[in-house]
Amino acid sequence: MNESTQQQVFEIIAKQAKIEIAIIKPESTLKDLGIESLEAIELIFDIEEHFDINFPDQQGANFDSDTAKSLVDAVQKALDDKAAASEGSN
Amino acid sequence: MQSVPMRRVVITGMGAISPLGVGAEALWQGLREGRSAIGPLRHPDAERLRVKIAAQVPAHFDPAANIDERILPMLDRTSEFALHAAREAIAQSGLDFRRNDLGVRTAVVVGTGVGGETTQDEQSKRLYGENSQRAHPLTIVRLMTNASASQISIAHGLRGPTYAVASACASANHAIIQAAMMIRYGTADAAITGGTEACITYGALRAWEAMRVLADDTCRPFSVNRRGLVLGEGAGIFVLESMEHAQARGATILAELAGSGMTADATDIVMPSADGAASAMRQALADACLTPQDVDYINAHGTGTLANDVTETKAIRLAFGAHADRLAVSSTKSMHGHALGASGALELVAVIGALRDSVVPPTANLDQVDPACDLDYVPNVAREMPVRAALSNSFAFGGLNAVLALKRAP
Repeated sequence: MNESTQQQVFEIIAKQAKIEIAIIKPESTLKDLGIESLEAIELIFDIEEHFDINFPDQQGANFDSDTAKSLVDAVQKALDDKAAASEGSN
Repeated sequence: MQSVPMRRVVITGMGAISPLGVGAEALWQGLREGRSAIGPLRHPDAERLRVKIAAQVPAHFDPAANIDERILPMLDRTSEFALHAAREAIAQSGLDFRRNDLGVRTAVVVGTGVGGETTQDEQSKRLYGENSQRAHPLTIVRLMTNASASQISIAHGLRGPTYAVASACASANHAIIQAAMMIRYGTADAAITGGTEACITYGALRAWEAMRVLADDTCRPFSVNRRGLVLGEGAGIFVLESMEHAQARGATILAELAGSGMTADATDIVMPSADGAASAMRQALADACLTPQDVDYINAHGTGTLANDVTETKAIRLAFGAHADRLAVSSTKSMHGHALGASGALELVAVIGALRDSVVPPTANLDQVDPACDLDYVPNVAREMPVRAALSNSFAFGGLNAVLALKRAP
């Protein structure tokens, strides 16, 4: 786990949910943090923009039950895939 | 205030341009055969887009066919669809608007979610993408939301109340209700109404992608493996008349538009509420003097999203009680896709077909019913059964509900 990825994702979540970053635990779901429906879609957009990655498609309602850790893992995977792809093309 | 005696409203013509083909009969035939028009996205930027599928009007549709070449440059794709569908509907009705100055007593109300989106997209690309200093001079007349209604009015000499109605995915139903009310109230003797949408543009596709509600395989309403909605496009246009007017001229009546219900959820901008939808259905029944037991079929809003399908099922149970288990409920969006502001109009073609031919069109791609959706969704194959009366549901982003109640032609 890359600490800085987690730190950055938590900062984006804290900003979206308008909460202190210390409240966010890896096991907190977006719903626990008060992020539902369109706000969850907006959060995903913010994360994609920040890291310049694309999350795979899935229905919006499913994000509500995602945990903070699962988002961090998804970001890390997307970053790793991107790094591998760019190495592969060199 | 003294109450105005309500006139009955009937449908005497229908026309459609849809992913299932040119003409209302092509649409109805496709639907009753359970044929899905969802396919690979045809778009110049398809390679770059994440969305890979759509339900599009076939490439053989010729917008120029039988349209004055001086008018053509003024038309966005939404107006092309609407003009063709209107001409078909008017021809079927046999109405002559010059006779007895009927044109003065004819209204035009057309629903559209966003209007001239293709025009908007093309001009934005010119200005921001290509740094052009000039927009095309016909940009405004193409993109204005009322363009379709106005072009129909001009093409047929219709001089009654004419305007557009916008309520996202409920636009067509709201427009049809508005037109019916004018006939009921005596403001007009006839009306041309329905919905049109041409929303398969680069900008709109990107915006829908970002909302993460688009399916990547196909549209599977009420199926546990559904993955969202599939965008469609097209137009459905109808001729409404007061029943006395239609009968006096010996017109063939396709169906009676017996009542309607309109409500707003007043809860969330996107998440639907079962209560709001149920109360619109109850209103439609009461307005049409129908009991739940009189209804045999509901054409569901049935988008194939998690949020809609479960909520709509609950709403139907709330409105129909025990009779819900005896209803045939299908989502034809599984075949013609979600044409947004035109969807209620394409679905009205399905409902008229069901009433007229005693065949309920199926819900296609229904592999495995979601346990949270526990009604009879007429999976995959049309069903022959008498349909005495039917509802057609449209529920829009913004929490807006518009339900039509139809009866078999008297």
